[in-house]
Amino acid sequence: MPLDVVVCLKQVPNPDLQFQVAADGKDIRRDALNYKTNGADEYALEEAVRLKEKFGGKVTALTAGPKRAEQMLREAMAKGADAAVRLAFDDPAAVDDYQVANMIAAAIAKRPHDLVLTGVQSDDYGYSATGPLVAGFLKIPHASVVTRVEVSEKGLKVWRELEGGDQEVVSLARPALLTIQFGINQPRYAPLPAIMKASRQPIEEVKPTDLGQSTWDGFRGPYTLAVRKVSPPAAKGHAEMIPGNVADQAKAVAQLLREKGFVRG
Amino acid sequence: MGANVVAVAEHREGKIAGVTYELVAKGRELAAKTGGAVQVALLGKGVSGLAGEVASRGVEVLLAEHDALAAYTAGGYAQALAAMLRSPPKILLAGHTSQGFDLAPRLAAEWTAPIVANCVDLAMEDGTLIASRKILNDKMAVELAVTSERPYIATLRPGSVKPVGPAGAPGKVTPVSVLIDPAKNGRTFHGYERPEVQDIDIAAADVVVSAGRGIQKKENLPVIEGLAKALGGVVGASRPLTDMDWLPKTRQVGQSGKTVRPKLYIACGISGAMQHIAGMKDAGLIIAINTDPSAPIFEVAHYGVVANVLEFVPALVKELKSG
Repeated sequence: MPLDVVVCLKQVPNPDLQFQVAADGKDIRRDALNYKTNGADEYALEEAVRLKEKFGGKVTALTAGPKRAEQMLREAMAKGADAAVRLAFDDPAAVDDYQVANMIAAAIAKRPHDLVLTGVQSDDYGYSATGPLVAGFLKIPHASVVTRVEVSEKGLKVWRELEGGDQEVVSLARPALLTIQFGINQPRYAPLPAIMKASRQPIEEVKPTDLGQSTWDGFRGPYTLAVRKVSPPAAKGHAEMIPGNVADQAKAVAQLLREKGFVRG
Repeated sequence: MGANVVAVAEHREGKIAGVTYELVAKGRELAAKTGGAVQVALLGKGVSGLAGEVASRGVEVLLAEHDALAAYTAGGYAQALAAMLRSPPKILLAGHTSQGFDLAPRLAAEWTAPIVANCVDLAMEDGTLIASRKILNDKMAVELAVTSERPYIATLRPGSVKPVGPAGAPGKVTPVSVLIDPAKNGRTFHGYERPEVQDIDIAAADVVVSAGRGIQKKENLPVIEGLAKALGGVVGASRPLTDMDWLPKTRQVGQSGKTVRPKLYIACGISGAMQHIAGMKDAGLIIAINTDPSAPIFEVAHYGVVANVLEFVPALVKELKSG
């Protein structure tokens, strides 16, 4: 029962960095960012490759993003994806998730897909919307926050993570889309020969005309959407910061813990 | 299209999720601007008692009961809501929860409607929806303006607004009949699973010392354990650590783990993602140690230390012992 798996990846700015507001106040400054594969998408890719290793089939890594995202697709191929597709959507901010999901769905619809996987959320925006949007456009069932996947003859059995550590078990007909939760597996590192090989593999580039639209704007929904402002968040409150070097800080915190009665003896 | 704001109730095993009442509070505020009313869509099977409970907060409940709604599924809810809301609302609200962000984006695709997810605030200005969100580990705030003739679909981050309390006059409960074709659902619910606890219960501890990615490697856990021991507390963890199996899942503090309210919470090398903060923000005294002075953990902590935990924590333990 070979499976054609499409795994949707996003290249995101490393969220551990500090960010600055762009001059127009409508985006972050993007001139000196370091980009990486979205964390949850790494787990989705690993799950896709493991399913292929178990059942046979093909893994296609797919993204919508600027040229820089090719680096991510090459890493995906080095980790086991058989093919890579980039929708040449050059908007670096890509704030309209409806539009992005719509174009991704159109690209997936044109190729075999028994299963579509993506990460549960993006590290930059964290909207958790793209996966279920894509499933809605493709009119296929989906499940979010998946922590375990079992493949049966006709469908899938999956475990979804709920709040408070509970899980729910659901089954889905195929084709289906799953958004994969962190921790479902341990993503592998790419071996050096595979990295070398992936650097020479082709990446299919998809333009809006390939999907029946003259521009990517054709994938927008019936609304106007505009960023009004990007700003550092208004701090709700802020910790009282303990000054000094580590020795001073340790002394001050120890004294604080004594005053508050947390130190016995 | 109507002017009403509809909030999708969330409930599991006979209990209404608190986020439902937060949606009502925000929905009421928005409805005052759209010129409509806030209504709660409650979907389930044998849930008329819950409908009464929600209505007691002074809000009208649209109650849809069907065998296919006995447990939440995206397909079942989508079919039911489409049937219930033949005249679509101006705004449809859901919580940004494992149910809400599973459902809302799918509805947006099916309804050809705009979606704004994970909002910390929502407002209406002359028919335009203003969505406030936090991005990049909550290090930046974004305000988005969306204008549409289609219903606005939005998910609201839990804990963003004050929930509505009990009201003097209850709202009415309006039963709505829905037709659902389970064959079109594509997803079947089988049951819930709960982790078996064979570990200490971190939610019962007075002192929790939690480790995050700042401890760099598993071999450094004894540093954190040393501090927990010195304070008579237990060791908790942020999600990345339990994902990597450095500590069992039972130690995870956060939305998908445990919610803790200890007297003292020390966050060691935890940046403070929304999912973690949701699980510890109500602790009595919060002390955070992180190398990044812009880490969001310092927004909820009472005291902050900008330092490498691997240097600071041993120094603190030494101070505590020397006293």
